[in-house]
Amino acid sequence: MSSKNKKGNTLVTVSRRDFLKYSGMVIIGSGMLGCIGPGDNKATWGFLLVDMKKCQGCASCMLACSLVHEGVISMSRSRIQVLQNSFGKWPDDLTISQCRQCVEPACLKVCPTGALHRDLFAGNVATVDAKKCIGCKQCINACPYPPGRAIWNAEEKHSQKCDLCANTPYLGEKGGPNGKKACLEICPVNAIIFTKVIPDQQGDEGYNVNLRDEEWEKLGFPRS
Amino acid sequence: MYGYAGKILRVNLTTGDIITIPTSDYEKWGGGHGIGSALFFDLVKDKTISAFDPANVVTIMTSPLSGTIAPGCSSRTEVQGIGAQPYPVEWFTRSGFGGRFSSMLKFAGWDGIALEGAADSPVWIDIRNGEVTIRDCSDLSLWGKDAWESQEIIFDFIAGSGSYDTWVSPDSASDARSTQRPAVLTIGPAGENLSRMAVLQHGASNTSGQGGFGAVWGSKKLKAISVMGTGSITISDPEALFKARLEQVAQYAYDFDNPKDAGTPNLFQSPPGQGTTWESFPNFKHSSGQRPQACIGCHSGCRRRYESGLGNEATCSETTFYLSAKSAEILHQAVDLLNKYGINCLEAYGCYTYMRQLNKEGILGPGKEIDCPLNFADIGSLEFIDQFLKMVAYRNDGLGSEHECGNIIAEGAVRAAEKWGRLEEDLKTGKLEYPYWGFPFHFDPRIQVEWGYGTILGDRDINEHDIMRLYVFLKEIFYNGAKQLSPEEVINIVTDKMVPFQDDRLMLDFSTDNMYSEHMAKLVSWHRYYTRFWKQSMLLCDNRWPDFINSYAPDMIGSTGEAEPLFFNIVTGKNFGSFVFKLKDVDSAVHNADEF
Repeated sequence: MSSKNKKGNTLVTVSRRDFLKYSGMVIIGSGMLGCIGPGDNKATWGFLLVDMKKCQGCASCMLACSLVHEGVISMSRSRIQVLQNSFGKWPDDLTISQCRQCVEPACLKVCPTGALHRDLFAGNVATVDAKKCIGCKQCINACPYPPGRAIWNAEEKHSQKCDLCANTPYLGEKGGPNGKKACLEICPVNAIIFTKVIPDQQGDEGYNVNLRDEEWEKLGFPRS
Repeated sequence: MYGYAGKILRVNLTTGDIITIPTSDYEKWGGGHGIGSALFFDLVKDKTISAFDPANVVTIMTSPLSGTIAPGCSSRTEVQGIGAQPYPVEWFTRSGFGGRFSSMLKFAGWDGIALEGAADSPVWIDIRNGEVTIRDCSDLSLWGKDAWESQEIIFDFIAGSGSYDTWVSPDSASDARSTQRPAVLTIGPAGENLSRMAVLQHGASNTSGQGGFGAVWGSKKLKAISVMGTGSITISDPEALFKARLEQVAQYAYDFDNPKDAGTPNLFQSPPGQGTTWESFPNFKHSSGQRPQACIGCHSGCRRRYESGLGNEATCSETTFYLSAKSAEILHQAVDLLNKYGINCLEAYGCYTYMRQLNKEGILGPGKEIDCPLNFADIGSLEFIDQFLKMVAYRNDGLGSEHECGNIIAEGAVRAAEKWGRLEEDLKTGKLEYPYWGFPFHFDPRIQVEWGYGTILGDRDINEHDIMRLYVFLKEIFYNGAKQLSPEEVINIVTDKMVPFQDDRLMLDFSTDNMYSEHMAKLVSWHRYYTRFWKQSMLLCDNRWPDFINSYAPDMIGSTGEAEPLFFNIVTGKNFGSFVFKLKDVDSAVHNADEF
């Protein structure tokens, strides 16, 4: 079971456990067992995976995220967070926290108003309707993966989360699970990819993959 | 103007006054160096004062492009004021550094800082969005800590009960959050002890090196400025900015699927991690795991972070600072010591090289004519370089006891030579390689002519590699008997971009006969305009700009001339118009302010 990055490289395989767990969602005839797609009303139609050992820490993904969504640049509003320590030791000097697009998202379950909902017109992605959000922050507190992947927009007083760029007035082209994703497009070292294969839902390991290839190694960086 | 937060912070360390200056009052100066010069001009009445006079003002400026995704334009911060390093007069000069300080400052709502006065006892400035507090260093025992320790102590203080593996809420006035550590600019012991080699240090290895501004901060009893911002930068045309960034990188940056000139450092098209010179020495490269490491927003980071944690983010000349080292690990550790003590790499190297020469000639050493406690037989050890750096940082024997030699070399090599009565002779013989203004040799001004002219017309070693790269780097990949371009084609591509002097191909004639010509004067003029405005005012990175010749571009014609005003216009909403004609007007005004 595989997935491709923007350069077309085959990169990812689905875990056996998640294949068995979620195979009931697979659309018969899609030709991609373990993947998700139109007709599936439970999981998002795709996931962002990152390579934390490859990331160069430029945070361009963070700067681009709020730019394409809100037209401003803000690290605090970014739906993908790169945390790093200048004095740390590779690879523990840096972590990337992107929304996992959980199959059973804790954030969605606790929203009291339905502001956080699955958007059937945008590949089932769980997203926040800012007009309905009352700012209770329950979704933010419910995310079990620190740092919480639901974002507090302190300037506009509502929560928000990664919608895989479904609602991006400043992206310039179609976003969403079947469109462009700003963080993936802007990453200068190809440390982010998109997959329609459900990653391992236990912990974050399934979301952190090896995207280092021979060309990377030639530049003096480890492949493994 | 879009791209700016709208306010400049003015802090008087003598009175404790904190004042806001509207950025709009200074926007006509562009940003960075332009605004810094204008602020200095307005705030310092007597421009002839000592660097250590409390009336000296140090400006720390961003640009409209800081914190944006304009590639290679996002991270630099410009520092200006009367510096401690220039010789024979402490005069108005500049420096700068990369990392993420300028972006965090703008996220906090500030476009720059003007520091004036001097505190009675050591303080640091805590900026959390609109909250600005001058804090006593004694509460955190900051004074006396090295430049890395002080940053980590401040990290912990700002996090409060939180931690940086999750969200922290730094600002008591709002519920805004961040996962980022504050951006801290600090001095080490070298600055505290007023060494003229002292830098301002940010992160592991971003330094505002030349100028001796670390000593100026030390004289103001200012240990650090910490900035934590959770706000936003407003862009004039967000969609166009995103599109322009993708297109610029797709067209002109390194392509991993189509690698070209992979080992070449410091061009727009260079791949990541190639600014770490030690990685090209088999004996000095890291054998452990590593990643490239970029300043904020950069499309291709020039440095690295390592599994050993040694030499993190070091780049360029500091990675060759101690090539006498007996092992790779000692070299990497030596650079870390340099950064922890907060010492200027180029000046330390120049001083160390000079002292070594004097030792070889039997003039300097324990009990010699110039009494120096260093055991030069031990060169290559970590202990040797640590002792030397401690002499510079603590003005003693490097082992904790008083010694005149440490006190003298902390003044820098030129002032040390003067104190030893050797200045004139050693400059003449070339033993002391300090060609101008008390700054160490960088590139030979007889060969790299525009570098020499730029420096003697200005205030410091210019450290601008724009033209020099044509000679040092590009000859290997473009016109060294090899491939794509003939020398004539290179000259045409480059000079075509040097508007308004574009028809003069002899600007790049570096022969002896042309050194004093009008052609060379045009080259120097263009270079001064380009660097003063685009590099030091708009804060484009010297490691990535200009983009003259590019292997990925059609006909190998790089993006300079088109890209710079494109990003400026998209971010600011202004129409910069003609690339250099307008630039010439703005830049001439900045030059006049500097020279005045």
